Amino acid sequence: MNIPNDLRYTKTHEWVKINEQEVTVGITDFAQQEITDIVHVELPDLGKHVNINQPVAIIESVKSAFDIYAPLSGEIIKINTLILEKPELINKFPYLDGYLFKLKIANINDLNVLLSVNDYQKLVTER
Amino acid sequence: MDYTSKNKTEQNDMLKTIGINCIKDLFVNIPRNLVLNKLNICHGNTEQEILTHLHNVAKKNKILISFRGAGIYDHYIPALVKEIVNRSEFRTSYTPYQAEASQGTLQAIFEYQSLICALTDLDVSNASLYDGATAVVEAILMSIRYKKTKKILISEALNPEYIKVIITYFKHLEVDLIFLETTNGIIDNNTLLNKLDDNTTAVVIQSPNYFGLIENMKSLCYWTKKFNSLFIAVVNPLSLGVFCTPGEYNADIAVGENQGLGSPMSFGGTTCGFIVTKKSLAWRLPGRIVGQTKDIKGERGFVLTMQSREQHIRRVNATSNICTNASLNALASCVFLSGWGSKGFKKLAEVNIAKAKYTFKQIKSLNGFSSKFGDQTFFNEFVIKTTKDINKINKILLYNNILGPLNLSNANANAKLKNCMLFCVTEQRTKSEIDSLIEILKTI
Amino acid sequence: MEKLLNEISTCCQPAYDISCDINIEINIPSNLQRCSSLHFPNITESDLLRHFTNLSRNNYALSTTFYPLGSCTMKHNPLISEQVARHYRFNQIHPYQDELTIQGNLEIMYKLEQDLCAISGMDYFTLQPAAGAHGELTGLLIIAKYFETIKQKRTTVIIPDSAHGTNPSSAMLAGFNVITLDSTHDGQINIDKLKQLLNENVAAIMLTVPNTLGVFEKNILTITELAHNNGTIMYYDGANLNAIVGIIKPGDLGFDIMHINLHKTFAAPHGGGGPGSGPVGVKKFLEPFLPIPRIINNKTHFVFNYEKHQSIGKIKAFFGNFPVILKSYVYIKLLGAEGLINSTKQAVLNANYMLAKLRDNIDVPGGHKCLHEFVLSLKSILKNGVKTVDVAKRLLDYGYYAPTIYFPLIVEESIMMEPTETESKQTLDKFIEIFKIIIFKEMLDESDKIKCAPHTTIVRRLDEVIAARNPVLRW
Repeated sequence: MNIPNDLRYTKTHEWVKINEQEVTVGITDFAQQEITDIVHVELPDLGKHVNINQPVAIIESVKSAFDIYAPLSGEIIKINTLILEKPELINKFPYLDGYLFKLKIANINDLNVLLSVNDYQKLVTER
Repeated sequence: MDYTSKNKTEQNDMLKTIGINCIKDLFVNIPRNLVLNKLNICHGNTEQEILTHLHNVAKKNKILISFRGAGIYDHYIPALVKEIVNRSEFRTSYTPYQAEASQGTLQAIFEYQSLICALTDLDVSNASLYDGATAVVEAILMSIRYKKTKKILISEALNPEYIKVIITYFKHLEVDLIFLETTNGIIDNNTLLNKLDDNTTAVVIQSPNYFGLIENMKSLCYWTKKFNSLFIAVVNPLSLGVFCTPGEYNADIAVGENQGLGSPMSFGGTTCGFIVTKKSLAWRLPGRIVGQTKDIKGERGFVLTMQSREQHIRRVNATSNICTNASLNALASCVFLSGWGSKGFKKLAEVNIAKAKYTFKQIKSLNGFSSKFGDQTFFNEFVIKTTKDINKINKILLYNNILGPLNLSNANANAKLKNCMLFCVTEQRTKSEIDSLIEILKTI
Repeated sequence: MEKLLNEISTCCQPAYDISCDINIEINIPSNLQRCSSLHFPNITESDLLRHFTNLSRNNYALSTTFYPLGSCTMKHNPLISEQVARHYRFNQIHPYQDELTIQGNLEIMYKLEQDLCAISGMDYFTLQPAAGAHGELTGLLIIAKYFETIKQKRTTVIIPDSAHGTNPSSAMLAGFNVITLDSTHDGQINIDKLKQLLNENVAAIMLTVPNTLGVFEKNILTITELAHNNGTIMYYDGANLNAIVGIIKPGDLGFDIMHINLHKTFAAPHGGGGPGSGPVGVKKFLEPFLPIPRIINNKTHFVFNYEKHQSIGKIKAFFGNFPVILKSYVYIKLLGAEGLINSTKQAVLNANYMLAKLRDNIDVPGGHKCLHEFVLSLKSILKNGVKTVDVAKRLLDYGYYAPTIYFPLIVEESIMMEPTETESKQTLDKFIEIFKIIIFKEMLDESDKIKCAPHTTIVRRLDEVIAARNPVLRW
């Protein structure tokens, strides 16, 4: 299972790539394996303000649907429209082409709540 | 009698396997003091006894020559439809969850969906809903989820049964239901424009409407789109052989009742609603949907698909609470629609118009009868205003085994419809039946 | 595999034709006309008959095979009910006929309501809802209206995690918030947790009894008492009513309102997914809120009563799915009290017999006794990468429809069997033998054969992922 070093994580299995005020959000390799074959994705509207831990997107497999939570508060500045057409990209490249959206974060201090690679590694292995 | 099959020996063997002495021991968890001594139901009957009894009950119903519609219609049902729908392989199968063992039902529903799309010129149909009324409800729910606003404009010329059902579903959900008044029986562009705003979720217009009139759907839909609202068309599927389709005027969702497509009137049920929409709204649809796929050998097959929308997976967040589809009635519609050919289906619609128009012309030329809405275009229903007592008219017609027009003064308590009645004439009515109707009306 | 209708279309004379004995110009204004061409197939009656007959043969049906589908109650549907329901004097009736001309239909509806009351212990029934989930919604709207009338603001409904998915989604649609109650490991209600959740906000508790593990809720009287002391309504989901008909009445257990799935307990056929019928029964205090119209027996004849000012209104156009209602009426008249009671007992006997033959080798989360159905967890016996779904698909190869799998959600790798009363001991014995061969023999020796089952069906294992990723929903 792939857990890149340069990312931060959440307990609900989202990853966050931080680039100053802008962050990219996706789901982890672990999450996509658990969900199995992803068939449909619903993403938040562009420009929407989201609050930390609020459900903002839905990822669906054949027999299940999973809420995806905002890892941080902020404004949606980009959504990955490619995965709306090809949801399997999330299974194939969860950390690259399969990202979900980009967020302009409201409060830089929120970053402190995110998990480090080590913490996330621990979380997944304990399961 | 019952339909169990065990003899004493078998039963004792089974009890022994379970490890108990009598069947009673299987009900141990049930509070003893509440177990029934007696069930207050009559003794059982044999088939023959049942038939005699039911024939006697059936005699209390009267079969009439129908000039009444208002949502349920007397249309011809081809023999093939009955033959297929009565096949036990369709009738006694379950919801096709095990796709490989249910290809018959699945393919028939896929074909039904395809025919509904062809009929309406829209992209995606579900596998059917309870009835036309709840189909409108589901369309409104879809629009609310999509637009995230709760203001719905509804034509007052929508079938009143449907309006009542809509009110039941929405009155406690803080949805703003605003009714559009008709002008000379139809919705005027200005009436719509006065109520439309950027907050409007959807506009619901029926055509042919409750009075049988064809609305100008093109312009109503055009203005609705100007405000980025969704346009929900409530249509009689049979009328689409002739009249402008929801796809042509760019409706977002079309809904209606399939009863006229191969299901008997049956006292207003079993009914079967259809819902069909654009591709962009496919994942918002309620209920079951059948999709095409491949098996491991690459052969074509069909499955229930996009199931993560549904209640058995999404529970509180499902697109609807609906589980059932009126599968057997959808099958009837499928067999019905597949046997006419394009020309034949158009002709069927035209015969409805011709017979209704003939009747309309005859009636309005009679003394004391006039057209309520002038010479507006209608499908197979029309409203006549009369100076005579409508209840008396219907009494006399009933005496002659005719189910006369629906008395709109009774049904609506709407002052605008005082002394008005709604006639329906389908392809089932012969010229001689229509002529007798006219002769009777003449004498009143 | 049968071709699609559009693929067998030719330039032939289509199956149906219509004539018109009236010659009249129909003159439709061009802006109202259909301009697009209608792409309907042209197929002869003979070819259509073959097409649909062949399609029917691609179905496993109750009339061709054992259908041990848990929670769905696939019992034999008496044929006489079909014959009666097709009678033209019941079929060719318009809903807006004068009451005096529909006395037959009204009598059947009225009397079925009475029979359902006698069986359930409720005081009144409506037959309007078109299906079980539709009945749930009706019931919940009645509950909402009741609290509105007595001016109490109650906004939540408690539903166990073992419930059918329709329960929470119906509650949402009725405007309630849903609180999920975790079950104990054997599927029973956790009384302590329930006590914690009960407060002045709770409008109703929805329970399926016996629960979806096929086990009777042993603390039911405590639960209904707790609820009533809290002013909370007890809702009985009648999905499993067939386990207790003639043995005990939900009304006597303290339930205030319920729905019945006529197509399950009272043997109307399922039709490949509908139409169904979901009557709702209530105790007297909830009667004013039932949908309109009500059917009244005014001694000389039956009439509709629309004058119910506290009613929730209409839930469906017209009065209900009459043919389904009629079939259930016939079923109850056929069986009578003794037949209904015996059916319940035999259904429970059959289920326990199957369970007894399987319980020694397979985990049974609900315990070693059940009512009309039981749930096994295959988790501990699955080997060589085989999943429950594979076992289900393999059963199709032996000519059986598969039991329900992955429901209820609280049991891992669950498989749920409901034999019903109309199956013989021989049928059950044969099925159990095959089931054991699959899970104890084939799973060890021929696991690949199971994993790519079915082999003998008209199509092989279908790819549900492709179907959902790139939906093809029409030709």
